[in-house]
Amino acid sequence: MKKKKSIFARFYVALCLVFFYLPILVTIIFSFNSSKSLTRFSGFSLRWYQELLTNTEISKAVYVSVTIAILATVISTALGTITAIGLSRSRKVIRELLMEVNNIPILNPDIVTAIGMMLLFSSIGLVKGYFTMLLAHIAFCTPYVITSVYPKVRNLDPNLANAAMDLGATPFQALWKVIVPMIKDGIFAGALLAFTMSFDDFVISYFVSGNGVKNISIIVYNMTKRINPTINALSALVILVIVVILILAQVWPKLKKSRLNRIPPRMRSFIAGAMVMLVIVALYQWGAVAKGERVLKVYNAGEYMDLSLLEDFQDEYHCTVIYETFESNEMMYTKLSAGESYDILIPSDYMIERLIKEDYLQYLDWDMIQNKGNLLENVLDHSYDPGNRYSCPYFWGTVGILYDKTVVDEEDLKQGWDLLINPKYKGNLYMYDSERDSFMIALKALGYSMNTTDPDEIQAAYEWLVNQRNIMEPIYAGDDVIDNMVSGNKAIAVVYSGDAAYIMSENPNLEYLTPSQGTNIWYDAMVIMRECSEQKLAHEFIDFMLREENAAANTLEVGYTSPVTAAYEEMVEGDYAEISAYIPDDSNPRSEIFRYQDPKVKALYAELWTKIKAEQS
Amino acid sequence: MKHFRHLIKPYLIWSILIIVIPLLLIGLYAFTEEGNAVLTFTFTLENFRKFAESTYLNVIIKSFRLGILATVICLIAGYPLAYIISKQAEDIQSFLILLVTVPSWINMLLRTYAWMNLLSDNGIINNLLGLLGIDPITMMYTDFSVMLGLVCNLMPFMIISIHTSLSKMDHSYIEAANDLGANPVQTFWKVTWVLSLPGVLNGVMLVFLPAISSFVIPKLLGGGQYMLIGNLIESQFISVGNWNFGSAISLILAAAILILMRLVKRIDVMGRQEE
Repeated sequence: MKKKKSIFARFYVALCLVFFYLPILVTIIFSFNSSKSLTRFSGFSLRWYQELLTNTEISKAVYVSVTIAILATVISTALGTITAIGLSRSRKVIRELLMEVNNIPILNPDIVTAIGMMLLFSSIGLVKGYFTMLLAHIAFCTPYVITSVYPKVRNLDPNLANAAMDLGATPFQALWKVIVPMIKDGIFAGALLAFTMSFDDFVISYFVSGNGVKNISIIVYNMTKRINPTINALSALVILVIVVILILAQVWPKLKKSRLNRIPPRMRSFIAGAMVMLVIVALYQWGAVAKGERVLKVYNAGEYMDLSLLEDFQDEYHCTVIYETFESNEMMYTKLSAGESYDILIPSDYMIERLIKEDYLQYLDWDMIQNKGNLLENVLDHSYDPGNRYSCPYFWGTVGILYDKTVVDEEDLKQGWDLLINPKYKGNLYMYDSERDSFMIALKALGYSMNTTDPDEIQAAYEWLVNQRNIMEPIYAGDDVIDNMVSGNKAIAVVYSGDAAYIMSENPNLEYLTPSQGTNIWYDAMVIMRECSEQKLAHEFIDFMLREENAAANTLEVGYTSPVTAAYEEMVEGDYAEISAYIPDDSNPRSEIFRYQDPKVKALYAELWTKIKAEQS
Repeated sequence: MKHFRHLIKPYLIWSILIIVIPLLLIGLYAFTEEGNAVLTFTFTLENFRKFAESTYLNVIIKSFRLGILATVICLIAGYPLAYIISKQAEDIQSFLILLVTVPSWINMLLRTYAWMNLLSDNGIINNLLGLLGIDPITMMYTDFSVMLGLVCNLMPFMIISIHTSLSKMDHSYIEAANDLGANPVQTFWKVTWVLSLPGVLNGVMLVFLPAISSFVIPKLLGGGQYMLIGNLIESQFISVGNWNFGSAISLILAAAILILMRLVKRIDVMGRQEE
């Protein structure tokens, strides 16, 4: 009977562990993938490990993640433990009130905590960086410690500490020698939770940090466009390190029993000293920029630049570039609206129009940009910034339909956007989870302008989309569509031409269609913020990106279409010769560029989009 | 016994500064009109009225249903594991607990991508099934995939929490119950379960709260049509840029949760009385 039970128990533990470690195993396997995909294994290689070692951004992020997690864990565990002890002795009113306040960071969605803290730090003028990230982490870790420790304290016999003090212990001794040892399981659990929360946090860290301070999660999230296995390689190494630590931890107690017994106090002060050193080094690392050196802060979409160009630029112009990335134009705007400032931004057309309207930008001095002549003629002078007074094109393209030639009939392609409501392809379709892009499709399919503010036209587009949802059952995907299409999970997807170019280079069954009803032509461009103090350097940066060889390297790495003539032609004839999506079709007069949206119209679109997604039949 | 009472003072000050004040700032947005400039606000209840529409109510109901289901699954699957772990020798216990926690240190997005990889139509599991001659099963973008992702991600918190209560439990209670003729089932429900209740409640909170407001896992494993309250709040703050409505929704969510927790606390109190 007993034996049977223990076999069952072992089996259950093993089953659970398999469940927890299955995704980890997959992560590790894909760290050895020879291609960029996270879903299709194409061969064994160590290239991502190589890349990891040469990528200074990631090694810095590891340093930030680890030090922040350790410091936040130590501080919040100490703070949380003494608070929990204090709570058990406090009056009921105070206790309940504080417990409720304490629950707020746990029960609020991360984004709310993040915005709240961002507002707080901005309003008291703290410079965002390592220190603000640490403060925020302590703030959201401590509640977990309190909720873990408090139940243990509550179960203690209150007379224990009294007895100790009656016997002559000071309150501190009673605390340290009597209470703490009794609740150490709770403290351990709390510390474990705190470390886990801190190490894996993205949202809060992203909004409260700045000045180039990034943790691992920030890097991973901003890679969503093209997550590459470098991060898997990093995870594999993290696992390796943890395994080593765990093995040591198993061996450690045995060693301790033999001779290390007397060392703890010294160890403790050693650990404390090491912590202090870590902070000092961390503050130094980001506080210190070589004297007299110029600094340029660049804010760009994730995975949207060949980073070796930044190093070349720094060497050539003897300056430091602080490079930060965002996941979407809106995320960038959220950070700017909290008062964060950069020198150069690389947003999209409609966002540039908004930034111009709201006075965030300054004029470009085109006389300082000698390589202006390198630009293609048709990428200049568009409605979002007539005469390019503020912006210099960076990449451009269209939105279209990516389809599987082996599944979709040639004949059906004539339908253009209406291919997306052809019942033949029911359940075989990815839409893009973005209200503007989806409404663009519906409006174009109906023959309206995609910048319409006419409520009837918007209503008609809404009905088109509801109808599509009902008959097609599409998946509204984000950037995960890239990997999904590479693996051929579905036959049709709405994608940006630059992503299509990359996907097609990985999956030869696919072809890109620019619908005849017209589509969205978009431009991402470099702009200089009003607060920029290094105007000369900022112009030099723009000029540098327009150099033919740099533009070629950039477009080759990213896969989006270059606005620089020589680079564009080189790709069209060379690396992207077979890939139609690389050449945006801007000849259709019905194609348009997104314009700035009035907040009221924007809110209407957002509301309708929520309805389309949430009211699934 | 009033020593140590002053120990809460640092946290009292800290929590006012860094929890209450940001919350008040958020609250201010909830009651004001469109526009992110706080200084020019006008009072309104419009943001709350808007939430009363059926679309948004459905979203919050769906979120609660999902959160409760995820919590129940984590409890049912996690309790036995925590129980088994608590029966081991002490050093094995902490080893196993670490083993359960370590996966959470690998970035959540990466783990979610790994699940997508396993579950997708042409994914690893379907390929394996194909080798056995079984037709592919659609697992991605369903309730199943979202639940799997949530449970895998949150169950460690339940386990840690329950284990903390179970370990160091006073075994004389169990012996006493046995001596008094209770069968194992009775002993478990009347003694072990009751004694572990604080840990269970803590675990329920640690699973339920993140489950209800999560947005990354539903978005990736369920697709954009898997609209939950977390996604709604996130999109209001970021893609729509309507902080006012976003703040109002998060206040409503917080209030709903607080009420629910009051109820849970009742259960706790009743449990203690039984004890």
